[in-house]
Amino acid sequence: MTAKLNVLRYVLGAAMLGLWRNRTMTLGAVVTTAVMLVTLAAFLAINDTLNEMVTALGRKSNLIAYVRDDARPSRVTEIMQDLEQRPGVGEVVFVTKEDALRIFQERFFDQRDVIDILQANPLPASVELRMDDPAVLPALADELRGMTGVFESVAVPLDVVERLVSISNVSRAAGTAMIVALTAVALFVIANTIRIAVYARRQEIEIMKLVGATDWFVRGPFIIEGAFIGLVGATLAAVALVVMYLQVAPTITRIISFLPIATDVSFVRNLAVFIVLVGLVVGSIGSYVSVRRYLAV
Amino acid sequence: MQGVTKSYDGEPALADVSIAIARGEFAFLIGTNGAGKTTLLRILLREEPFDTGVVLVNGVDVSRIRGAALTKFRRRIGVVFQDTRLLPNATVRENVGLPLQVRGRANREIDVAVDDVLSRVALSDKGERFPRQLSGGEQRKVALARAVISKPDVLLCDEPTDSINPAHAREIIGLLLDINSEGVTTLVATHDSEIVNNLRRRVIRMDAGTILADEAVGVFNTS
Repeated sequence: MTAKLNVLRYVLGAAMLGLWRNRTMTLGAVVTTAVMLVTLAAFLAINDTLNEMVTALGRKSNLIAYVRDDARPSRVTEIMQDLEQRPGVGEVVFVTKEDALRIFQERFFDQRDVIDILQANPLPASVELRMDDPAVLPALADELRGMTGVFESVAVPLDVVERLVSISNVSRAAGTAMIVALTAVALFVIANTIRIAVYARRQEIEIMKLVGATDWFVRGPFIIEGAFIGLVGATLAAVALVVMYLQVAPTITRIISFLPIATDVSFVRNLAVFIVLVGLVVGSIGSYVSVRRYLAV
Repeated sequence: MQGVTKSYDGEPALADVSIAIARGEFAFLIGTNGAGKTTLLRILLREEPFDTGVVLVNGVDVSRIRGAALTKFRRRIGVVFQDTRLLPNATVRENVGLPLQVRGRANREIDVAVDDVLSRVALSDKGERFPRQLSGGEQRKVALARAVISKPDVLLCDEPTDSINPAHAREIIGLLLDINSEGVTTLVATHDSEIVNNLRRRVIRMDAGTILADEAVGVFNTS
């Protein structure tokens, strides 16, 4: 037990000494890790923002189902409650005949006489749907059109919806592909940097094995060094990400205020934690794998 | 070692080599470059596999040991490599203490042992230096100190006096004899004829991977 504790103490000390004595290589590996992870994190943030923007555009596309004057109010309420539970539906609003008239008068102030000459309010009540996912709109519209006893007609800006769905699909697919590719490149570059650092010290591994070191005695300091490099590089990347986000996001929001951009701090915080974990895991596993090939002495 | 053969890419390095060295014995392994001396030492350390034959070191069949047994086996053998193989980024003290560190000895115990062995090789004042700050002779003495600090049963030395001045060479050979006198089986590969001829010890003469002669008291015939 004492021997194991002594070995553990040695391994920790050797790792710290190794980092310091090979500081040029350590610094290079930390910077490479930070650059790769900040690039990956920035792209993840941009991709998330783009998706948020597409979703926000989707929320602006509404479906309006005009209610027949003779429709039973209880039936309309029932349908609205059902719609609220549907996936992709954000908000369900009932616009009364009176509201519709008021909106018309406000919107078409210069043509208010048209209404005044009518004896009764000709505008129907309506159920308006604000969507989270515009892709479900066409099917939903068809379903509501089938309820002929309740709705007179259903209005959907189909061309806009189709374009939005298409943009959303392309954006998500391209984003996912880029994330996969960029993640692979980042992991490859980080792992390769560590591999080169281990390669430069392969003779140390061989010497330690020949004087009777166990595999864990040899690989311990390297794994700790790799984890340290990954952790420090990733922490730098996470700090850079948070600073960029705090500086850049408000500016973008100000410039394109008509589009709600993801300014959710928790997203950036989660991304930062994720990046740090990636750095830690890739650093330590990269070292473990790199050292393994030189242990067979 | 019985009937050992070893070849590299079809080129024989050892051909049917058989030798026996008794516990506590001191022997020179001599021969020109390429005679097979280094290959033989590497096989004894199980650094290199061999093709056929049987090799027993300390009663252990070298061809059969793996994993933890190999680690244990190597801890009983001290080695001075031809190229010293000191850790370049470790100080003299750290290099010398390494065989005890791998055994999990306490730092205080290691410090005492390192002080003792460094004083024995007359390098007490160079403990905090790095290998690149030492002369070739001093580096060999550090390698020797590392090889003997754990009091091994067997000491293998590959050209321990190569490319160093005669004073350092005599000092190193004196240390090897001292260590051998403590019961450590010592095998020294060399092509330093002066040292071999002066010591008049057992000489195993190799050429082209074979044993040419094995003399209880041999001389290095440079002709």
